[in-house]
Amino acid sequence: MEDYIKFQNITKIFPGQRALNDVSFHICKGEIHALIGENGAGKSTLLNILHGMFSATKGKVFINSEEVKFTSAFEAIQKGIVKVHQEINAIPELTVAENLMLGNEIIKCGFILNKDQMIKETQELLDKLGCNFSAKEKMKNLSTGKKQMVQIAKALYINAKIISLDEPTASLSDGEVRILFKIINELKANGITILYISHKLDEIFELCDRATVLRDGEYIATLNIKQTTEDELIRSMVGRDVSMFGQRIKPFRVEKDKTVLKIESLSGTAGFKNINFELKKGEILCFFGLVGAMRTEVMRAIFGADHATGGMIYLNGNTLDNSSPSACVKEGIGLISENRKEEGFVKNLTNSDNIALASIQNYMNGFFVNRRLKEKNAVRVGEKVKLNPNNPDFMTSNLSGGNAQKVILAKWLSTNVDVLIMDEPTKGIDIGAKAEIYKLMEDLLEEGKSIIMVSSELTEAMGMSDRIIVMREGVIVAEFNRDEFAEERIITYAVGGMKNEEVF
Amino acid sequence: MKKFFKDNSRELSVVVAIVIMFVAFGIIQPIYLSANNIRDIIEQATIYGLMGIGITGVIITGGIDLSVGSVLALVGAVVAQMTVAGVPPVISIIIGLAFGFTLGIFNGILITKFGLQPFIATMGTMAIYRGLAYVVTKGYPVLGVPDTYRKLVDGEILPYLRVSVILFFLFAVLMYIILKKTKLGTYVHAIGGNEEATRLSGVKVNKYKTLIYGIAMLGTALAAMIQIGKLGTGDPTTGQGYELNAIAAAAIGGTSMAGGRGTVLGTVLGAILFAGLKVGLIVMGVDTFYQYIATGLVIVIASYIEVVQTQISNKTGLLMKIFSGKSSNKSGNA
Repeated sequence: MEDYIKFQNITKIFPGQRALNDVSFHICKGEIHALIGENGAGKSTLLNILHGMFSATKGKVFINSEEVKFTSAFEAIQKGIVKVHQEINAIPELTVAENLMLGNEIIKCGFILNKDQMIKETQELLDKLGCNFSAKEKMKNLSTGKKQMVQIAKALYINAKIISLDEPTASLSDGEVRILFKIINELKANGITILYISHKLDEIFELCDRATVLRDGEYIATLNIKQTTEDELIRSMVGRDVSMFGQRIKPFRVEKDKTVLKIESLSGTAGFKNINFELKKGEILCFFGLVGAMRTEVMRAIFGADHATGGMIYLNGNTLDNSSPSACVKEGIGLISENRKEEGFVKNLTNSDNIALASIQNYMNGFFVNRRLKEKNAVRVGEKVKLNPNNPDFMTSNLSGGNAQKVILAKWLSTNVDVLIMDEPTKGIDIGAKAEIYKLMEDLLEEGKSIIMVSSELTEAMGMSDRIIVMREGVIVAEFNRDEFAEERIITYAVGGMKNEEVF
Repeated sequence: MKKFFKDNSRELSVVVAIVIMFVAFGIIQPIYLSANNIRDIIEQATIYGLMGIGITGVIITGGIDLSVGSVLALVGAVVAQMTVAGVPPVISIIIGLAFGFTLGIFNGILITKFGLQPFIATMGTMAIYRGLAYVVTKGYPVLGVPDTYRKLVDGEILPYLRVSVILFFLFAVLMYIILKKTKLGTYVHAIGGNEEATRLSGVKVNKYKTLIYGIAMLGTALAAMIQIGKLGTGDPTTGQGYELNAIAAAAIGGTSMAGGRGTVLGTVLGAILFAGLKVGLIVMGVDTFYQYIATGLVIVIASYIEVVQTQISNKTGLLMKIFSGKSSNKSGNA
């Protein structure tokens, strides 16, 4: 196969950092090419250069042996180079057809939208892709997975030759992932070249032909997926062996006779009901389930972020006032949300302010915040979570996903909460940072704290937890102690293959 | 030093604009730089500035307060009536501040407890407060504000130095401290940047948001009481459109209408630029119609400069890095 896309000595320098350094490799026509590396390795930057969002500081990009220099994303799209975004940008109030044809509307009589034609053409495309929803549906009524299909359909509509997908499965359910993979393979069969960014190695092994590894902005290797192993791939990504990945390293320390948090028949407007469980001291209790199992909703209700419609919650034997998050924090419960950007950190604050957000009363001098105390704490806790750069004045929004998550962890480590609820704590985080977060979770247990972890990754759930509770469609369907962990049984309960089992 | 320029680039560019404005107007019309004229500018800047500094706090949370112009009239009318009725000036002022604070808190409650959008809530109270000003005065100006009161809020303590200017300065310092050094200030910035993340960090977002609406209104209450001191009357029709002047002062000073960013110093400078321009256009004998166009243009251009400045600072940062050859910071957005 010839070199279809060729990156030649690409260097990109941002104020304060070198995001890419002399990266050269090529991508063949019609292959599915994975770009892998830890967060901050430079994958997104490279894609942004290909798609005309940034221009390279040095180096050239060739497509079909012809040098390209796009000055805007629009120019790239016109050349058939399309990116399906990580954060899906769609206009919620418009229909699928209108979203799909945005900017390429079909017009009749000079200025009137030809809606019938637009819907017809869109529907044809959707059917071709095997999508089971209507072109007349409003975008806001679609799941994340379906929105992504619309974006892919849109790329096809404008005759894309190269499509890149940045973490496309991050918020998809298993079923949706299956459909997506089918579509991607079909695109490949039609001669479209795919660039695929993902942290999930099993996906890469299933889907991709070759993978290029980046680390700290440097090109490491391009591997032929068929001739490589998972270990090899991980080693080239992080530059070290991580065989003990996602496993408990320290001794288990759960105290079975000490109940920290007790939930009795909790229900909420989201639709979950009769939630009963106990969290023991020193335990990592995992809530496993598919997207839509309402695990996040349960956690938000416990934390007072949403109001519960019924049930009782006891913390250390006393009724918990969970009327608001602030009441819960005061009583000793913290929550790390699944959506880091939207609910986790504040974009216009520095690391030290973000870290201080939940514990500001500790740094007060009378009426005034003592900047020195605040920064001292930020550096101290930042060191503990291995924040990079551990600079109190650095803007959190400029950090990579893994480091931003560490800032959020640091925020809660600065408080004295007994129970930390971590909703998908490693979502979208690279392997190196993941391992560090797992280690921090164990450190927390050592300090006498207890953790509820919501996870959709079974390896993580089974590796890290003392106990797994499986939820499906708003109810608890099973509970497993560590010695009962069995991949197939857990999955079966999560997808509803077995009848509900009385667990308490 | 470099950091100082970088952190205060907006304020510095407004200072440059003010200097250019004074020089330009001064050359064309030397009377512009006369003591009396400068005093005029300062007096106008005091009113816009006090209202603008308060509203800056509100805008940083991502909110807006359109009712400040009506509050200027309402607090002014009530305090004028009190002083005319013989209430001691100091007590009138305390009541006036408390009244303004309450009106602001009411705005805040509509926004937090009842969940109204700030624009709509304060558009409603803009009409309500204006109506109340007419009701308490029956539509007539309150005449005969006693001299003791007028001296207290606007007397000349030193030649050309009026109490009102000192009050302006003190309120600016107070708001600066609140926004920079207190818990409330941190939370105000955090709420403007990401309200949900702040709430989920255990911050009582509603409480602090309501509070900043109240504190913001102290500035307008002060402006109201200074204005009746200057004019000797409490006029229920005053202050119409002033909310836009106050917002303009904040915007020129670099406050982002999207929330999260803004400084007291910027707004003070913005108010001086805005007042200087208005007075300058009058001194130059520019037709009223064109004055509107000119002030409007300044707001638009100031906002555009902000956009350009952000772009340039990104680029110079890059150039500085290339020339100094440093690229040690490996983390960041990839």
